[in-house]
Amino acid sequence: MKEKTICALATPIGTGGISIIRISGNDSLNIAKNFFVSKHIDFENIKPRYLYLGNFISDEVKDQVLMVYFKAPFSFTGEDIVEFQFHGGQLLAQKILKSLLTKCSLAEPGEFSKRAFLNGKISLDEAEGISELILAESDTQLKAAEILQSGKLTEKVVEMQNKITDLLAEIEANLDYPDDVEEEQLFEKSENLLKKLNSEIIEVLENSKNSNLIRSGVNVAIVGKTNVGKSSLLNALLGEERAIVTNIEGTTRDTIREKIFIDGVTVNLIDTAGLRESDDVVEKIGIEKTNKEIKNADIVLLVLDLSRELKQDEIEMIENLKNRSHIIVGNKSDIKNKKFDFDYIEISAKNNENISEIKKQIIEKTISGKIDFSKLVLTNERHISILQNTKQKIENALNGQKVNLDIEAFILKDIWKELGKISGTTEDEKIIDLVFSKFCLGK
Amino acid sequence: MEKINFDDNFDAVVIGAGHAGCEAALALARLGKKTCLTTISLDAIAFLACNPSIGGTAKGHLVCEIDALGGEMGKNADATMLQLRMLNQGKGPAVHSLRAQVDKNKYHERMKKVLEENENITIKQAEIVEIYAENNKIVGVRTALGENLSAKVVVVATGVYLKSQIIIGNYMKDSGPNGYARAEELSNSLIKLGHELRRFKTGTPARINSRTIDFSGLEIQGGEKNIQHFSFDNTEEILNDYPCYVTYTNLTTHKIIRDNIHRAPLYSGLIHGIGPRYCPSIEDKVVRFPDRERHQLFLEPEALSTNEIYVQGCSTSLPFDVQKQLYHSIKGLENAQIMRYAYAIEYDAIDSQTLKASLESKFVDGLFFAGQINGTSGYEEAAAQGIIAGINANQKLDNKEPLVLGREQSYIGVLIDDLITKGTNEPYRMMTSRAEFRLVLRQDNADERLTPIGRTIGLVTDKKYQKFMQKREKLQKIREKLAILIKRDEKLINLLTECGESIPDSSMRIKDLLKRNNITIFDIKKHYPEIFEDDEDMFLDIINTEVKYEGYINQQNDEIEKLRKQEQTKIPEEIDYNKVKSLRIEARQKLSKIRPETLGMASRISGVSPADITVLSIYLKSYKG
Repeated sequence: MKEKTICALATPIGTGGISIIRISGNDSLNIAKNFFVSKHIDFENIKPRYLYLGNFISDEVKDQVLMVYFKAPFSFTGEDIVEFQFHGGQLLAQKILKSLLTKCSLAEPGEFSKRAFLNGKISLDEAEGISELILAESDTQLKAAEILQSGKLTEKVVEMQNKITDLLAEIEANLDYPDDVEEEQLFEKSENLLKKLNSEIIEVLENSKNSNLIRSGVNVAIVGKTNVGKSSLLNALLGEERAIVTNIEGTTRDTIREKIFIDGVTVNLIDTAGLRESDDVVEKIGIEKTNKEIKNADIVLLVLDLSRELKQDEIEMIENLKNRSHIIVGNKSDIKNKKFDFDYIEISAKNNENISEIKKQIIEKTISGKIDFSKLVLTNERHISILQNTKQKIENALNGQKVNLDIEAFILKDIWKELGKISGTTEDEKIIDLVFSKFCLGK
Repeated sequence: MEKINFDDNFDAVVIGAGHAGCEAALALARLGKKTCLTTISLDAIAFLACNPSIGGTAKGHLVCEIDALGGEMGKNADATMLQLRMLNQGKGPAVHSLRAQVDKNKYHERMKKVLEENENITIKQAEIVEIYAENNKIVGVRTALGENLSAKVVVVATGVYLKSQIIIGNYMKDSGPNGYARAEELSNSLIKLGHELRRFKTGTPARINSRTIDFSGLEIQGGEKNIQHFSFDNTEEILNDYPCYVTYTNLTTHKIIRDNIHRAPLYSGLIHGIGPRYCPSIEDKVVRFPDRERHQLFLEPEALSTNEIYVQGCSTSLPFDVQKQLYHSIKGLENAQIMRYAYAIEYDAIDSQTLKASLESKFVDGLFFAGQINGTSGYEEAAAQGIIAGINANQKLDNKEPLVLGREQSYIGVLIDDLITKGTNEPYRMMTSRAEFRLVLRQDNADERLTPIGRTIGLVTDKKYQKFMQKREKLQKIREKLAILIKRDEKLINLLTECGESIPDSSMRIKDLLKRNNITIFDIKKHYPEIFEDDEDMFLDIINTEVKYEGYINQQNDEIEKLRKQEQTKIPEEIDYNKVKSLRIEARQKLSKIRPETLGMASRISGVSPADITVLSIYLKSYKG
C-alpha cells in the first residue's frame, strides 16, 4: 500500500517570526515543483538538505520562502520530505497550506511521528513523547512532554531493569551452575532490591499523581450566590485571553466552561449556577449540579459580595470548603462596606483590580509543590498504569513468603517484563551474557 | 549429472554415530525405516569424548524429554551409571536436575549393542565423503572407499569430526577427538549443497591415572539414592554410588598459567574457532577472573575398567610441559601421571539458521542436521536434536507433517527454536534460564508433556505407554485426595504447630493445608499416613509441586496461551518482506534471510522489534499471496 503524501504546519499557529510547513511522502518533491520558483534550483538535480531561496507562487499567494528537501530515508519520517520556511503570521500559513492541499492531504495530528515510528526512525517511547508534544496545549505540558522526549523515562526504566537483570544473572548462575557458584543471600538481595525499586516507582507515581492537571488542565469551579459578580469575575479572568479561548458548551444548561492559560497551565473555568435558597424543583436540580461541579473541581473559587452581610448558606459554604482546596474572593471592593474575619482576596471585577492575585493563587494552590518538574513526571496514562502494575507486582512479592529460587526468578522476570512494556526491551539474552561475564562457570 | 550406481539401498543414512546419530538412527529404525548408520570408527559409537557424565542443569531435563519421546539416552545412562545426583534440591522443582557419572566404556558398549540388535539398522564403519542430491533432493551418499548408498533422507550428525584439528600448545594436528580420524571431504560436499561452514572450538582436560592421585585430603562427593531416574521406565533402586572428589587450583597454579600465557594458543592467536563461554579453559578462567584465588575442580572416574580420571574444570590447550606443571600444582595431583594431555579441538559447523524447525536444510530436501555440527555443545543437546531429526526424517519419508515441539512444551523445543531463530555465535549449551516457561517444563512432568506425542509418532512402546498411563492414574488418585476434609482436632493442631503454621477456626481440606508455605505433602503423610498409604513418594512430590506452584503455573499458562496465537500464525513461505513497507530495513533483511515459519519465530529473531511484529501481523491479515 502506498502511503499518501501529507502536509501540515510544523510550527505553532500565530506566533514566531518564521513558520514552517512540512510535506512528507513520495510526491513531496513533485508537489513542491508546482509552487516553488527559483533561479537557484534545478529540480532534476536537487541537493538534499540544502536551503533554496525562492518564491511560493499559487492562485492564493506569492511570497518569498526558503525550501529544503530531505531525501528518504534520511528524514524525520523516513519518507521524502520538503519543508517551506516563510514569514510568520497565520494568514500566510493558511494560504500556503490551502494551496498545497490541492495536491496532497492534511496530516492528522501525530501522523508525521506515526510514520517516523513505522519506518523505524524513532522508538515507541520517543513517538509517545512526540505525541504528547502534539497534544500539549500549554507550556507546562510541553515541559513534561519534553522530559519524556529526552528519554528520561526510558532511562529510568532501563536503569531499574538493569538492576533486576544484575540480580537475575546472579540467581540464574546459581541455578544453572550449582557447582560453581556459591549460594549468596539471594532472597535478601531480592527483597532489598524490590523495596528500593518500589520506593523509586512510588516517587515517580507521586510526582505524576497530579499530571492530569497538566494534561487536561486545572478545573476551577466558580461558585457564589447570584449577583455577587461571578460573571464579571469570569470576564475579568478571561481578560485579553478571551481572543484565544474557545467557548465550549457546558454539559448542563446552567454551567459555562471557559479555558484560559495561566503561566502556561491550562485552566478550565467553570461558572456554576448561582447558589440560591429555593424550594423550586428545577432550581434544586441546578444546585445539585453545582455541587457535583464543586466535587469534581481541583479548586473552588467562592465569590462573596463585600457590599453586604454574609448569608447563612454562604457561611455554610465557607465551612464546607475548609477541607478542600479553595480560594475565597471578596468582590466589589469599589463599593465595599464589609470586612470578613477570614482569609480572602479583595478584588473589583468591575475595575479589573487584583485579578492577577487570583490567578497566582490558582496555580499556587493546585500545581505548585505537587509536581516537581526537575524530576520525572508521567503524563501518559499507559506509562502510569504500567508503573502501577509494576508496583502491585512488587508489593505482592514483598508481602508473599519466599518460596524457592525458581519462583523468585519468575517473579523478578515478571516485574522486569512489565517494565519492558515501557522501554520496549524484551531481549532475554542479556541475562545470559551477564551470567558469563560476571561469574566463572563451567567445566 | 551422471547416473550413480548404488551398491546398497536404504530409506535413510545417518552420518555419525555419536549421541545425535544414535538417537536419529534408532528413531528411524524403530519407526520401521531401513537405516544405515555410518561412523568413522565403530569404537567411537556413543563415545563420551569429554566428561564421563550425563545430565546436569537443563541437560537432565533434555534427557528426561528424550526418554519421554521414546529415545535411548536415558535408558543408556541409567544402565551404566556410577553415581547419580539431583542438583539444585531446595531451589525449587523447576530447576531440579539429574546428573549422573557414567561408565564411559559401558555407555559405549551398551548403546552399540542396542544399535546392533535392531534389525532395521545396518552399522557401517565408513567415512562419508559426498552427499548426493538431484534437483535439491537427497538421493544418497558415497563413502571414502567409493561405496554408494542410496537414501531419500540423510541425517548429518558429524559432531566435531569435520576437518577437525587438535591443538596443544603450538602442536597442531589434523585429527578428530581422541586420536580418531577426522572427516576430510564432507565439508566440501556440504558447501556444494549450499551450507556455509564456520569454525567452532571446544576442549577437554587431561586424564590422570588414579593410582598416582593422593585422594586422602580431598573432599568426597557421593551420589544419592531414592531419586528419580532419567528413564521413566526405570524405578529400581540405584546400586552404584561411586565417588567423585573435589579439589581446587591455587595461586601457584594461576602463576604457572600467567607465566606461560603467551604459549596458550587461545592467546597466541593459533586458535581461531569460537569457543563456548560456559566451558572455558583454565587459562581463560584465570585471565578473565584474576581476583579468584582458586577454581573448583572435580575428579571423576572414567570407567570401572580403567584407572583414568577426568579432571573436570581444568580443560586447557597449553603445551604439555606447562600442563604437567599446572596439574602437579594442584592438591592431590602432586605426583599425578597424565595419561592423556588436555587439548583444544576446532571443527566445522553449519549456521543453524539455515535449518527449518524440523532440522531439515532449507536448501536441500531430505537433508537433516543434528548435534554439534549445528553449533551446539554437549551430549544431551546432540541427542535431543538427534531424536527430532530422526523423527522428522521419518515423517518426510512418510509424507507427514514434521514434529515441531513448542518452547512451552519442552526444552527440546527451546533448544531447536533458539538455534533456528536466534542462531548461535558460540557452541550452544542448554540452560534452564533459556526456557521462559521453566516452571512448567520440569523433569518430573516430561512424560506428561511428551509421551503422548511420542506415542502418536510411534516411538513409545506399548509397555512404556502402559506405565505412563498407570502413573497418570496414580497421580489422578492423589489429586482427588486433595479434597479430603481434615477435622480440626488435636491431630491437625499438632501438624500445624509442628510446621509453624497458624491454627484455623474450622476443618481444612488437604489442598488448603498444602497451600501453607511450611507444609509439604510429606508432613501431612507423616501425621495422616492412612491417607497416602499406597502412594509413591515420587508421585506425591509431583502433586505437592502442582499445588504449591498453582498460581505461578496458571500465570505462566496464560502467557503460553498468548504465545500460541503468534505461534499458530503461519508466515507464507513465498512472502516478500521488501513489500511490507513499514518494516524497518534491519528487520526486513533479517526476516528475508532467516525466513521464519511463524509469527512467533519472527518475534524471537534479534533485530526484529515488537513494532515490526505488529506491522508484519497487520500485513499478514491482508496478505493474499
